[in-house]
Amino acid sequence: MSLKSIITKIPTVQKEFNIFTSYIENSTECPADSSPASGKIGAIKDNIATKDFPTTCASDILKTYSSPFDATVVSLLKGSGAVIIGKTNLDEFGMGSLGLHTTFGPVRNPLNKDWCVGGSSSGSAAAVSCGIADFALGTDTGGSVRLPSAYSAIYGFKPSYGRISRWGVIAFAQSLDTVGIFANNIDTISGIFRILDQHDPRDPTSLSVETRESIKDQSVKFKDRSKLKIGIPKEFVQSDLAPEIKESFMLYIETLLEKDYEIYPISLPSIKDSLSVYYTLAPAEAASNLSRYDGIRYGKRNSTKPDIVNANFFTESRSYFGQEVKNRIILGNYNLCSDGYKNNFIKAQQLRVQMINQFDKIFRFKNILTNNKPDHDIDILLCPTNLSPPPPINSITHAPKSNPLHEYMNDIFTIPMSLAGLPAISVPFSKGKPYGIQITTQYGNDEALLKFVKETVL
Amino acid sequence: MLRLKSLIPLTIKRRISNGNPIEGFELTCGLEIHTQLNTTNKLFSRSVNNPFESISSPNVNTSYFDIALPGTQPILNYEAVLFALKLALSLNSTVNLSSQFDRKHYFYGDQPQGYQITQHYHPFSKGGYLRLSKEFDEIKELSKEIRITQLQIEQDTARSLYHQSSQQNSGEETLIDLNRSNVPLIELVTEPDFHDILQVKAFIKKYQNLVRQLKISTGDLEAGSIRIDVNVSVNEHPRVELKNLPNTSSIINAIKYEYERQVNVLKNNEQDSSTVVETRGWDGSKTTVLRSKESTMDYRYMADPELPPIALSSDVLSEVAKTLSKDADDCIRELMSNPYNLSKKDARIMTIQNDFNELYNNEELRVYYIDTFNAYKGSTEDNEISDPKIVVSWILHELLGNLKKLQIPLNQLSQNILSPKKLASFLNIVHGGVISNSNAKQLLFHILEEYKLGSCKEPKDIDFMILIKKYDLEVTKNIDYNTLEADCREIIETLNNPKMIESIKSGKKKNSIKYLVGLGMRKYQGKIQAQELETMFKKILNVK
Repeated sequence: MSLKSIITKIPTVQKEFNIFTSYIENSTECPADSSPASGKIGAIKDNIATKDFPTTCASDILKTYSSPFDATVVSLLKGSGAVIIGKTNLDEFGMGSLGLHTTFGPVRNPLNKDWCVGGSSSGSAAAVSCGIADFALGTDTGGSVRLPSAYSAIYGFKPSYGRISRWGVIAFAQSLDTVGIFANNIDTISGIFRILDQHDPRDPTSLSVETRESIKDQSVKFKDRSKLKIGIPKEFVQSDLAPEIKESFMLYIETLLEKDYEIYPISLPSIKDSLSVYYTLAPAEAASNLSRYDGIRYGKRNSTKPDIVNANFFTESRSYFGQEVKNRIILGNYNLCSDGYKNNFIKAQQLRVQMINQFDKIFRFKNILTNNKPDHDIDILLCPTNLSPPPPINSITHAPKSNPLHEYMNDIFTIPMSLAGLPAISVPFSKGKPYGIQITTQYGNDEALLKFVKETVL
Repeated sequence: MLRLKSLIPLTIKRRISNGNPIEGFELTCGLEIHTQLNTTNKLFSRSVNNPFESISSPNVNTSYFDIALPGTQPILNYEAVLFALKLALSLNSTVNLSSQFDRKHYFYGDQPQGYQITQHYHPFSKGGYLRLSKEFDEIKELSKEIRITQLQIEQDTARSLYHQSSQQNSGEETLIDLNRSNVPLIELVTEPDFHDILQVKAFIKKYQNLVRQLKISTGDLEAGSIRIDVNVSVNEHPRVELKNLPNTSSIINAIKYEYERQVNVLKNNEQDSSTVVETRGWDGSKTTVLRSKESTMDYRYMADPELPPIALSSDVLSEVAKTLSKDADDCIRELMSNPYNLSKKDARIMTIQNDFNELYNNEELRVYYIDTFNAYKGSTEDNEISDPKIVVSWILHELLGNLKKLQIPLNQLSQNILSPKKLASFLNIVHGGVISNSNAKQLLFHILEEYKLGSCKEPKDIDFMILIKKYDLEVTKNIDYNTLEADCREIIETLNNPKMIESIKSGKKKNSIKYLVGLGMRKYQGKIQAQELETMFKKILNVK
């Protein structure tokens, strides 16, 4: 499809699914080369800084913000010849699992307009799912790429933490934040990953060149074994898993068995702590990161009232945050209070380390960051991506008082991999169905993971 | 009618207490010192670090990170780590081989991120001390050790300028200059080891000297590159933190005031259960409450989730330790003992840097002195110096004065024209009596002036003997004492001042003989040793 015809189509798609926060509005803005290579039409989640479009985080507070610089991922994509057609809607600052907490209104699921598409990278998932973009970038902090990709029946890949630069990625909880890729085929995912998988001296958490070298060595060793060993964590066997998702999952396992893969039950007891650990650490980091939005230097500012009222700073301007963001800021600050820090935050950090140690024991390869010695032999972990199909938008927005915990439960399968920084991909094994299979491997073995997916999923 | 409006009363006369200790009431103080490091770049960005030079152009030294744009990240400047390492090692503090950064949260206009990056849970170094002594620091005790609690690296805040808004009813407005934002600071906390104001004064001075000697900070209190808060407590009185102390005298006066205030509180039993730890400011004449414990902020410290720990190896520590110059007190002591035997005043000049001098620093001066001294000593016949003062007095009194007058940097001089060896050979000539002192001084100045006129560029190999001959400055070797006596008598006669001659004879004004010597030197064009003239005049006038 030519770029011009895509750009003509955007307004219609936008009206239907509310995918974009801004997009190329007329074809004259298109680059001279108006037919980019296949797989190179992309959309970018609107919490990633771009010079060519506003960068809003779908928040009222940044609605008019324009970044003076491109995120490293955006520069890399542009440099590779990709064309970015727009910025995509999201849960405000990446906080949400359904794509509903946004100042631009909910994103609709291309599989069924009445359904949620999932969040927080909701617009990016929908852009690929409806076919307007070949790929899209999202960010994944606890499942924000994997869950919406499952809900919209596409691929959603969260690489190992540190492989893709975060420079220009607006922090939600940067010990977890990872740029992820959406596409409707594994080759496009691999192609975009190769472009973005670079060390960036501007990002202090970017994986060093030396560590990248040792990862390469490990990737080579992965091939020693013709048939990888697969583990299924028993903690992920949930009684309330939707029957159709269970069926799809079992079907995938059958195809693996047919291909002579060996499958083992394994145990990761720490998984039971993951939601509590995540909702202690992530909101605390978020409360800290969002402290900069005071309206003084950029962003929306209440011009009728002073910045300081009764020794309270920036209350008026900061009230432009949406309700879910406010909830998490309050929770985060509670976790950071001097009393709460030792009891909650430090404990959560310890439990996180414990979980990483458990993961490290299971795999065949050692974790190059922790240097923990493995004592099992597993290459690949499997579990579903989502517990249930996407809920109807109305059921949430019209519910009298919805318990936020219900929304948080959506991330139960994805959060452990975020806490451990592991590469994980959600795969649409049952074509066109709103559920996915999550495939994970040891830290740094992203290429091996993508190769495994290519070999086992049609 | 003319009106003079002032918000501040023009005359504030208030007795500043003398701060003398009152029996039974012991003063205890601890200091919190923030020192701006003069690194090239800021702590976590590549912005230029020069908050003072850029004071007239606000917000120019700001990167995306400094103004906390969304999507930016900190990258640690390792020059700041090196500077912190030098300070920690100099203070005998134990360096943490894996210190970490934490975020300290509070909202303020001068803090763009909404938090300060500091080191709360795992500081850069712990422990250590700075030793004060009666000999060098003018304290009452023979020796006093002030223990260091810890050092931490952190970001400075932006600079706030308060002024009344021009718009009516809009209240106060603060202008923000982010040039200072993210400038590297070291926070140093001492133990509450001060029990005398002299100790506080001495510590501050010594600390300033140290950071200047290490070349890690300009060390100025007035300009704000060093900022000091003081914790004060008298006996069981709860600790009071004193802030807004812009210079040493306000620090001293605030402590004195606070000491007397707390003594009065204790004497009058005014201290009730509500008396709690509080922060007080100094307004130039008294301390006033800024905030009390009830309104103390919870800073919600959090380990920074993206900055890696500062990982150091013990090899790095020992390498940096090697680059450090000697302890200042040891240097002074060395210069005051054999073979140099300098006075304390001269030894200090060569050790302590009081200000940034463009022509030379104390270290260059000391090296130049010691090299000259050794060259001079080596050039004497028996390797002994009969007049050890000659080197120091020529360097400190003649040479430095000339360098300042002619604006010649010492290093350049030493390299191009007057190496320590060269100067030593000159001093040898002077000491040998080939040329008189006064002519020697004129010759030295002349040589330096010529050099300066040649734009200080041409290295020159000076042969002093040739110059002395060229300008005919050599002291007459074979003095005809009869002629000398006749000349001296003629001088006295021509002077025709019996009153003066009388006062010399009677011993009333002994030094007036120098005047006669001066006249004699003029007559002989300096080609005679002043001592010869003085002896002759004494002989004529019959004085001893």
